Amino acid sequence: MKKFTNTYMFVYITVLVTVIAVVLTLVSTGLKPRRDRNKQAEKCQQILRAAGHDIDRSKAVDAFSNLAVPLTDDGTQYRVICADGTNGVAIRLDGKGLWGPIWGYAVLSEDGTTVKGVAFDHKSETPGLGAKITEESFMKSFEGKKLYNKDGKYVSVRVLKPGTSSEIAAENRVDAISGATITSRGVDEMMQKLVISNE
Amino acid sequence: MKKYLGPLSKDNPILVQTLGVCSALAVTAQLKPAVVMALSVTVVCACSNLIISLIRNTIPPRIRIIVQLLVVSFFVIVVDQVLQAMLYDVSKILSVFVGLIITNCIIMGRLEAFALSHKPLPSLMDGVMNGLGYGLVLVVVAFFRELLGSGTLWNYPVIPQSWYAAGYLNNGLMILPPMALILIGVIIWIKNGTIKRQL
Repeated sequence: MKKFTNTYMFVYITVLVTVIAVVLTLVSTGLKPRRDRNKQAEKCQQILRAAGHDIDRSKAVDAFSNLAVPLTDDGTQYRVICADGTNGVAIRLDGKGLWGPIWGYAVLSEDGTTVKGVAFDHKSETPGLGAKITEESFMKSFEGKKLYNKDGKYVSVRVLKPGTSSEIAAENRVDAISGATITSRGVDEMMQKLVISNE
Repeated sequence: MKKYLGPLSKDNPILVQTLGVCSALAVTAQLKPAVVMALSVTVVCACSNLIISLIRNTIPPRIRIIVQLLVVSFFVIVVDQVLQAMLYDVSKILSVFVGLIITNCIIMGRLEAFALSHKPLPSLMDGVMNGLGYGLVLVVVAFFRELLGSGTLWNYPVIPQSWYAAGYLNNGLMILPPMALILIGVIIWIKNGTIKRQL
């Protein structure tokens, strides 16, 4: 077997690492515009879905620029024209699921009292359980829910197990997903932060 | 040619060597991500086998594992970046499992067992065949899991609506990882009953 000196090994690995680093940087930089475009399109599609529009991702960015205007500089609130023709405010939500982050957008009516629609997404919730928060039937259950109770107090839309906390009226709650307690609680906590800021 | 076909049947990396099972459980709930994952592993396995074989005489044995890891990581990162840019939806489903190809024992195993001691062309073939052998099992498992778990194939519904009306239900257990393990077990069982391995 050939003998390799320490110097040879050191130079060998240095050259290899350098070459790989340079090529990877080139690949990453070259593909960055496409990656960013995908992320942007996904965000636009999600906001539009919360507003009731069913739009293909490839057309989402164009449609978004026609239908929405930012309300804040940080990209967390937008004024959108909903599918039913009325105006709404889309608000970014962030929370914790069982395995990783969950997030989404909620579209409120302009007076900030009624949920017109939501769209959730998650990083790594369990398929068939927590991942159900992205299913149409769960997101649909938020439509038309009120953020304030009969006394005008802010309660947001709670995500609760059917049958619990009966003091919270049906218009302020949706059913949690059975078998996905932690993810449901994550959505619940996320919804508590839902207010239109006064900017 | 015949000697390269082993990984597809009697020397299958998943069924015989029981390597790469973790990712096989995680990405086989649907057909499309399984196919993309299979192709990704094939590309990484073939390319790193080729490169390691090309430079095999220059690699100091004492740092060969580091060199192998560098080459494998390089291809995995490239594949990951390309998926994020070109197949965004699938890359979201595969999430961390693309990155985890680096730790897939099939790839390191082939580098150690084959590429370090063989010429480039046979090494390339060996990599392709082992990747395909892995992919074959993934596709078979994903086929049954998507068909029985979601009633779709490649996201197209194949179970007629009339079945659901008659009371047919998708098997929710199929989309959870334990069922993938059971399916792989069944495939190993069938394989051991039909194809005898020559030792």
